Amino acid sequence: MSRILVVEDERHLAEGLRFNLEAEGYQVEVVDTGEAALKVLRPESQPFDVVILDVMLPGVDGFEVMSEMRQRGQFVPTLMLTARGHPDDVLRGFAAGADDYLTKPFELAILIARLSGLLRRREWLRASMNPVTEPLAGPPALPDERFVFGDKSMYFDRLELHVREQVFPLTLMEANVLRYLIRHEGKPVSRKAMLEEVWGLHEDTDTRAIDNFIVRLRRYIEDDATHPRHLLTVRGVGYRFVAASLP
Amino acid sequence: MVAGRQKSIAFFIALGAGLICVIILLYVGWVLLNWRHGILLVLGALLMAAIVSGVVLNTIFLVREIRRNAQHDAFINAVTHELKTPIASIRLYLETLQTRAVDDAKRLEFYSIMVDDSERLLGTIEQVLRTGRIGVSSRRLNVSRIDLGGVIERCVERVRTLHKVSAEALAYRPGPPVTVVGDPEEVQAAVSNLIDNAVKYSGNDVRVTVETAKVDGNYVALRVTDHGPGIEKTELKRIFRRFYRVPGAVATRVKGTGLGLYIVRSVAKRHGGRAWAESEGPGHGATFVLKLPIVK
Repeated sequence: MSRILVVEDERHLAEGLRFNLEAEGYQVEVVDTGEAALKVLRPESQPFDVVILDVMLPGVDGFEVMSEMRQRGQFVPTLMLTARGHPDDVLRGFAAGADDYLTKPFELAILIARLSGLLRRREWLRASMNPVTEPLAGPPALPDERFVFGDKSMYFDRLELHVREQVFPLTLMEANVLRYLIRHEGKPVSRKAMLEEVWGLHEDTDTRAIDNFIVRLRRYIEDDATHPRHLLTVRGVGYRFVAASLP
Repeated sequence: MVAGRQKSIAFFIALGAGLICVIILLYVGWVLLNWRHGILLVLGALLMAAIVSGVVLNTIFLVREIRRNAQHDAFINAVTHELKTPIASIRLYLETLQTRAVDDAKRLEFYSIMVDDSERLLGTIEQVLRTGRIGVSSRRLNVSRIDLGGVIERCVERVRTLHKVSAEALAYRPGPPVTVVGDPEEVQAAVSNLIDNAVKYSGNDVRVTVETAKVDGNYVALRVTDHGPGIEKTELKRIFRRFYRVPGAVATRVKGTGLGLYIVRSVAKRHGGRAWAESEGPGHGATFVLKLPIVK
């Protein structure tokens, strides 16, 4: 049974969410402050499969909780749920490390669909995960789960990017963006296409959110982020991934 | 965004100070060169005083405008939250009832939650509309004789049911019966805001007393005392400003629009009374007083 953590200080909303998610067959825990959320998200406590995070919380707010989680190396898929729908807020949520963002009031069916989307991706990753936990020593990962370019290898199953001796943990969305670019290697990919394919967004969302992801990915995969050689900008279109390092 | 505003405030203050320095330097130079011409000296002094005060005023207004914009943004955010949250909740419960099999007990619980949320929504909307009406100074008061005790009784009762607090936790000690002249709706809104605030900010430990007493023969004072978080001395006046909310943890724990006390103060003024807050500081609770003239 998937475990969901709901971080929401509005009691009515939290209870309504709990009722619905339990009806969907999930196991639900509700906390009402950012501090409590960080407490139950400690590595030693029982892990959650997905987190629903409100922004306007008393004390530590949702954005802070989000970045604190990611800094600690916790990459549990997180959906931010908030009344603030301004593009700046949405971008701030993604920049903090959110996997998805939904504004209040929301449609129940949409919320559940997005949650199961996040869970599904996680399940896929788990299913393709190797039973051997020793890094690099076990049998080779499935071709789609590992991608080697230059002196870097991306392990999609573990959400890890190995650059020579260094290991960078990526968020689920960062990995998905990278996977999408790798699948279309050599071809330019538009921002709109990425929004549609990776996030499943069809409305006219501000496509600058993508740029934030690219900036972060470049920090990991480029030796010199100001002169990218793998993740190239295609003026007026979007981005292009090149596996072979250009001279 | 906040850092940007702080920067522009600092910039304008520095610019103002810089301009004043330049003017003073120029003037001192001019005085040194032309010390023989008496009338010109006087004229120059006057002109310079005018210019300096102009620059000072301009800087003050600019800084004030920037601050006001910041507060306005915070207000829009707070109202957005206060409007959208109950709607989100009502919608969630409606969709739940629509799509799931819900047993009778749960269904009744959901109905009462939705009623509470629509109450909250209505409260926010009324608060915003009332602020708009109070802002129009030309609007005449809809005056009649009001039994203040009755108004307080009703407000206390309403807050008790709304926040589910007992009669001991929210106690009302009526003084001698008094009649005030004013707009019943506005007076009720002011009284209600004070009691509502006291309960809201008390958190889980609600110990609020509402009492009335005659003061100076011609006035009645309604005192609402709580044992909540208390108020910093420097904030006692500011909290009555429109959109103002005390910065810090308390304001994020207790949701609000920053309009309640502004309405209280405006209503008090329009009725020839006064409203103020007393507190020994953080941790010592607070007392809010609404003083209105009485008719005999």
